[in-house]
Amino acid sequence: MNLPNMLAVARLDLMLLWRNRTALFTVVGMPVLFAGMLALFKGEEAAGMDMALYTGTGYLAFFLVFAVFMNLVSVFTARREDLTLKRLRGGMLSDAEVLGGSVLVAGAFYLVQALVLLVLLGTALGGRFPANPLLMAAGLAAGTAVFALLAFALSGLTPNADMAQLTVVPIMFLSMAGSGVMFPLDGLPEAVQQAAGTLPLTPVVETIRTGYFGQDFTAASTPADVGFLDSWAACARSFAVFGVWLYLGIWSARRWFRWEPRHA
Amino acid sequence: MQTNQVIEVDGLRQRYGDFEAVAGVSFEVAEGELFALLGTNGAGKTTTLETLEGFRPAHGGRVRVLGSDPYRDRRTVRPFLGIMLQEAGFFADLTVADTVDQWRRFAGRGARGRDEVLDLVGLRDKAAVRTRQLSGGQKRRLDLALALLGRPRVLFLDEPTTGMDPEARHATWGIVRDLVADGTSVMLTTHYLEEAEHLADRLAIMHRGRVEVSGTVAEVVAGQGDRITFRVPDRLSVTGLPVLGGAAAEITVEGGRAVAGYRVRGDGLQPSLYELLRWADAHGLHLDGLQARSASLEDVFLTTATEGAVT
Repeated sequence: MNLPNMLAVARLDLMLLWRNRTALFTVVGMPVLFAGMLALFKGEEAAGMDMALYTGTGYLAFFLVFAVFMNLVSVFTARREDLTLKRLRGGMLSDAEVLGGSVLVAGAFYLVQALVLLVLLGTALGGRFPANPLLMAAGLAAGTAVFALLAFALSGLTPNADMAQLTVVPIMFLSMAGSGVMFPLDGLPEAVQQAAGTLPLTPVVETIRTGYFGQDFTAASTPADVGFLDSWAACARSFAVFGVWLYLGIWSARRWFRWEPRHA
Repeated sequence: MQTNQVIEVDGLRQRYGDFEAVAGVSFEVAEGELFALLGTNGAGKTTTLETLEGFRPAHGGRVRVLGSDPYRDRRTVRPFLGIMLQEAGFFADLTVADTVDQWRRFAGRGARGRDEVLDLVGLRDKAAVRTRQLSGGQKRRLDLALALLGRPRVLFLDEPTTGMDPEARHATWGIVRDLVADGTSVMLTTHYLEEAEHLADRLAIMHRGRVEVSGTVAEVVAGQGDRITFRVPDRLSVTGLPVLGGAAAEITVEGGRAVAGYRVRGDGLQPSLYELLRWADAHGLHLDGLQARSASLEDVFLTTATEGAVT
């Protein structure tokens, strides 16, 4: 892989994103909407938690679904079907550079959104500087890799760009609902809570919250304060879940990702 | 082994599921040569080309481009190749200039300038136009421009002039001829036999995944034999027809009348025609609709496409 080549692809992606306002809205508009909603929670408290910060850190994970997952599924599906992926592949670029450039742009957008949201949480919403920023960054990076891989696989199963709006829904909805950000999972049966803990967005939420608050958010009960090292230990299970999803992501991307339309 | 072969294909096989698209194809292309691959739709031309371009590994046989495996060593080989795919998309929201600028970044150092390449294909006046607004022929020219950006040593052209008007087609032939004159090796597929006749140093005709004939245009056409046809005179039985240059008459029926046709090989038209006229004179026959002509590439192509093997 050659970095200048990948950056050249990234630059092309940025130009295309700028000229396609619908895609731009998914990547930029959705996070702005969600961030706006946080104002409603400002100053509210539940079970000793600041609701704006608690929800905001959850949204930090949600943005991954918009900026990386949904964005990449539609990019790869559209490019495969209009044969631009094939054209990109017919030049000097390696496969990894063609795909990596797009992942780079999606990841960069997500990073910017995450930083802006963290600044918002830290200033307007009265939050703090993250207790363990390294843990948060590791969670974001692992989550980006998992959702990019899932996007490769799902794009291969999506017949055309319009259908991409639909095919992302099951994974999007399940992982968002299962992460416990939209509504608390405490009231649900034990088995369902267990299952929710294995969904791909759940470890993202857990590592972000644990890293941000310096409290153990991997257990369902009231979070206890944890130090720097303990916060990593507390998230061991989250990283194990990441590991499984990375494996599943690579396997399914290899199996389903397609460079060319099926009929060709 | 000759060292000046830029493309070597030996027993190439490609399959899609149970369907064998390429069933054992062999040929070589020398440095500075233009080699044309002809054939009907589905003959396996594009599959062969895409294997040489490194899009897919060969299922069987051996393929070398500039001495390397184009799939496994794509990284080393690609910088020397220019690829014009039969079908590839453009980013509809980019202008012609944007598109060329982007691809120049991918082509690395030594890439042709934007104006240079647009002048070359005659698209300079369309630089500010979005690619979605280009006609089919203009898209083909932009395709060619992108393939030429990196000053390739080996150029692959998959049906390069489809959708072009005759003027643009002739202009494109001019560009290709100039490139070959400058030492570029070109491998081309086409539906237009005229295109192959104009450009190709050597050609091969594919049918159902196999190369049925190959050689220079003259060789390929010579193998086919020249044509003599006439209506069989009414009072003559077809068994009474002469053998010309070793070839027996093939009888077809046209407009309710039997027509005798000969494919004469070897010494060509003149001795056979002389033999026929002498025979007609001796029998006091008048030959209606007498035609004699050299074989054309079209004859070879049609025979190949309908019958398979020619010889």
